[in-house]
Amino acid sequence: MSSMTINGRIAPLPDHPEALLIDVIRDDLDLTGTKLVCGAGVCGACTVLVDGAPVVSCLMPARAAAGKSVTTIEGVGTTDLHPVQKAFMAHDALQCGFCTPGFVVEAVAFHDRWRATKGTAVPSREEIGAALSGHLCRCGAYDGIFRAVAAACSGQFDGDHFASPRVEARAKVTGSAKYTVDIRHDGQLEGVILRSQLAHARTVELDLAPARAVPGVAAVISLLGDDRMVRFVGQPIAAVAAKDRRIALAAIAAIRISSERLPSVIGLDAARRPDAPVVFEKANRKKAGNVSEGPGGPASWNGNIRGPSSPFSQKAKKARGWIADARAAQNPLLVEETFRTATQQHACLEPHATVARFDGDRLTVHVSTQAVFHVMELLAKRYKLAHDKIRVIAEHVGGGFGSKGALGIETTAAIDLAREAKAPVRIAYDRHEELSVTGYRPAAELKIALLPSAQGDLKALSLTAHADTGAATNSTLAALARLIYPAEAKDLVDFDVISNLPPGAPFRGPGGPPMAFALEQAIDEAALRMKIDPIALRKRWDPDRNRQRLYDWASSLDVWRNAARTAPQTGRYRRGVGVASGYWLYLWQPGVKIELAVKGGRIIASTATQDIGQGSRTVIANTVAREFGLEPDDIEVRIGDSGLPEGPGAGGSRSTASVVPPILLAVQKLKTAIEQQAQRAPVVGSNAPWRELIAAAPDLVVAAERPEDGKPTEPGLRSPLRDVGFMGIVFGWMMRQFANIAVGAGVPSSVQVIEVEVDTWLGHVRVLSVHTGIAVGKIAAPALARSQATGSVIQGLGYALYEARETDPRTGDVLSAGMEDYRIPGIADTPEFEVHFDEGGFDHVLGGSVGIGEVATVPTSPALANAIRNATGIRFTEIPIRPDRLIAALKARIAA
Amino acid sequence: MTSAISIPAPPAEFRAAGTDLSERRRSGLSQGPLIDIAATPNAAGIEWDANGTARIGALTTIETMAIDLRLAAAYPGVAASAQELATPQIRHLATLGGNIAQRSRCWYFRNPHIDCLKKGGSDCPSRDGNHLYGVAFDLGPCVAPHPSTMAAALLAYDAEITTNQRSGLMIDEVLGDGSDGAADHALAPGEMIERIALPPPLRGERALYKRAISRSYAEWPLAEVCARAVITDGAFRFVRITAGGVAPVPLRLSASETILQDAPASAAIIAEAARQASKGANPLPMTAYKLDLLSGLVRDLLERLAA
Repeated sequence: MSSMTINGRIAPLPDHPEALLIDVIRDDLDLTGTKLVCGAGVCGACTVLVDGAPVVSCLMPARAAAGKSVTTIEGVGTTDLHPVQKAFMAHDALQCGFCTPGFVVEAVAFHDRWRATKGTAVPSREEIGAALSGHLCRCGAYDGIFRAVAAACSGQFDGDHFASPRVEARAKVTGSAKYTVDIRHDGQLEGVILRSQLAHARTVELDLAPARAVPGVAAVISLLGDDRMVRFVGQPIAAVAAKDRRIALAAIAAIRISSERLPSVIGLDAARRPDAPVVFEKANRKKAGNVSEGPGGPASWNGNIRGPSSPFSQKAKKARGWIADARAAQNPLLVEETFRTATQQHACLEPHATVARFDGDRLTVHVSTQAVFHVMELLAKRYKLAHDKIRVIAEHVGGGFGSKGALGIETTAAIDLAREAKAPVRIAYDRHEELSVTGYRPAAELKIALLPSAQGDLKALSLTAHADTGAATNSTLAALARLIYPAEAKDLVDFDVISNLPPGAPFRGPGGPPMAFALEQAIDEAALRMKIDPIALRKRWDPDRNRQRLYDWASSLDVWRNAARTAPQTGRYRRGVGVASGYWLYLWQPGVKIELAVKGGRIIASTATQDIGQGSRTVIANTVAREFGLEPDDIEVRIGDSGLPEGPGAGGSRSTASVVPPILLAVQKLKTAIEQQAQRAPVVGSNAPWRELIAAAPDLVVAAERPEDGKPTEPGLRSPLRDVGFMGIVFGWMMRQFANIAVGAGVPSSVQVIEVEVDTWLGHVRVLSVHTGIAVGKIAAPALARSQATGSVIQGLGYALYEARETDPRTGDVLSAGMEDYRIPGIADTPEFEVHFDEGGFDHVLGGSVGIGEVATVPTSPALANAIRNATGIRFTEIPIRPDRLIAALKARIAA
Repeated sequence: MTSAISIPAPPAEFRAAGTDLSERRRSGLSQGPLIDIAATPNAAGIEWDANGTARIGALTTIETMAIDLRLAAAYPGVAASAQELATPQIRHLATLGGNIAQRSRCWYFRNPHIDCLKKGGSDCPSRDGNHLYGVAFDLGPCVAPHPSTMAAALLAYDAEITTNQRSGLMIDEVLGDGSDGAADHALAPGEMIERIALPPPLRGERALYKRAISRSYAEWPLAEVCARAVITDGAFRFVRITAGGVAPVPLRLSASETILQDAPASAAIIAEAARQASKGANPLPMTAYKLDLLSGLVRDLLERLAA
């Protein structure tokens, strides 16, 4: 048997030729800082050093490491943190942290090489981008990574003095942070799901016996619904738990199925044809998934088309009439266009995963989820268990972006398998599953008509959206155009188009980015035709007080003032500048409780929320610490466990707005309790009176619940839904009643200015700079808020330029189910950023802070398209604006 | 319901660094016996003949070729190709022989649940399906472009390949003409690339390589071009242009070469040569854009060579 040296110790290598280095590292040696993500050498999450050089351990045969020295993240900075680790912490070069060990290992190698030859010179962005080009971060922490690597190379982190703005950063840069996929109980089995290879079929016979007969298999269950139908490629049919993944895969391959194949229909255009096969017959419509965070209103169905839904229309008939008249009169100000957006995958780097385990009648479930408390409630209902018999745990979550808010089949299947096998079971999706069946932002077709009045006001807006929701419903795109740019009349109609594709899911600002892609380009076009500055036109048409301040900021930017918004250029490389606005609702979760305790002279803050990279741990620590004049590190934050007091889900940008107000109430209670119990007053003139009092205090516990917001003092400031009238009030009531989400007063807003350079020969777009102004009230954790903002924009750039789920038009197979073919932005695609926080507007919220997660991604794709329009004269109506589309459009322009 | 694609008696595969094969083993696409060749003695490294010929062992890593100064001086097109493919971690492991003999990157081929010509199937699902990244020179039944960047560079340099069975093979003999949709190369079963020889460079020649991709790095080329030229007294005395990413095999852009041969190195001539880059192309419905990229790449490289 051969061996390697790993982190300074000798470890045997298996003789098996199929064993890969990552299997040995993670499974045999339990060094779980090294992550398996793409399995194709693209993302770099599995990077380790072999004889000092970074390699992807997911592709390296284990036997190739024989006689070599391997260093994993656990072997980096073991005595003192490496300067790169300190720099990553100090510059907040991470969010969810799942890619972080790979980035750190690579950056350590780069740093050490750099320092050996170049001393403390500062590497350029280009040098860093090239060196880290084998890594992907879905949160988009690249802005911080650039700064961290440059600072470490310059020697700034050779010493021990640094501060980390993110409280759990140390665990993430050292690889000790445990995610769901890293959990391993004694006797744990591996679960695998058998999935349909047909897009539409009725299962006639399902014979699980051959799988049960495979040695090493402990449980086999059917996952078919009562109608025994499959409606998309990848729909779960059965699941197996076995000693290891290899056996489980062999077992699902042994399952015998006979199916009656049914006609299927794939995608937006095919599903709308009158002769298209119908996906959901009337009796089965409830089996469709939900692509929104809230409940759906009633809507009619016609074959595969669900809709029209137009609750937010306003004098729709008038709008249609005025627009028709303007069209007939060839009114040059009437902007009419059809826009198309692509399907965007969440592409979380930690896959959907669950580890389920029974201890007697108690169920413990580790889930990679955005909602530990909500998932616990759903499981309690499903399995008829008391809340205290179920614990849902998510200490760290490797990205979610909306796809991990519901109770998934990976969770229920793991539980059912664990029950049958009488052993703990893990199900962790492979990359193909993650990129095909875990949901997505639906593609959409948006027909828009925008009519300015002769006086230069916005007279009428018509927007009709058809969303490609797959086996799901409840898209809301067009309706969102009601809450910005008031007009005399608006005709806003949404349709779901259902087909035999996997169901869509909520994704960061559901409906917002595609709506903005159409609306913000129409506004831009109107400004061009009206010969008015696009920011000035928005300032005229958009009275929202938060965005009014952001417009003033944006119009004062040098990049905007210096932009040539005149004739398009003609050379190979063309530069342009574009602007767009975005908003999101201010949401918070009623019933959220915070418990504050003093234990052993230390403050502990607890709530059953979870940190998916957005930084809720830090927001809690910062808020408590600030009130007591302490440092965030002085506060112990307990989250990620449903056994704690009810906490918010991490969706709808609601975390901060849900936890900060009850924290402030609880702090007041705790201060009172501490003062009452104090034996003596703090030393007069003490710099840290609370530190002394807390250290001397007996153990105490207080709790507070999220209060209703105060009445806004600013006149006219209210929930934007109020402006919609009766249907808005109904919508708000439904959100609160059925989704436990309250819509508050004031509108979180973002205005972005983007500068691009287009290479017209190679169809390539380089984003030079992004200037993003954001109004979400007071910033609870500034460095993390910047990370959220830049990460949101980077996801938006991916949406605009690279990302598209591709499917086979006949079979419905997802083709882009690997990270090579589903193209998320890399570090070298990252522009220079300017982030401006306008901290006003939410004084009626206790603490003054609302969420930031979604708003910054809404305006990115139209701002980019407007910049390309400015550079080339071409209005791009379809994203992503890939080389093939750029080339085709440039050619068409020359031909015209 | 079809279960796994039935592959008759899965063939044995050579494994060098495994950067392609490991992924196909994990997905179940490759199931035959493995023959590990990573530890073959004397199979890595660059040797130089007295006349200036470079002999490169098949197990030489891409990284070695990217950083070797003598190689970069003699064969800048080969070195530049090695510098731009894949990622730093892959270049560190992957070998020259493996890069040439890797399997297709087609998303139908890589999906273990979909049948195709390269998996014993009877037709190419991409041809009537989604072939966004397919060929623009439709030379055979399979529409996937050949994935080897190094092969296109070696074609530009008239590399000679020695296998364990044959010697003196040109790159097009190793990779075939694209008419066999089932194969990614024309090597016999059990035949393995051992050595690649690059003839001595011409006096005064220069070369460049570039790929067109949507992002900045780490993407399979939509199109890629390697161009060599000797320019004296303002005229092209020698030109060799090869392309990858656009056909089932690397292509020589002979029509462009013909325009340039002994012609002045002017913007007008270069523009005409760039237009001729797509001569003989027959793009699929979704791949016409690749011809514009090809033209853009040829123009970019020639203008820089002429500058």
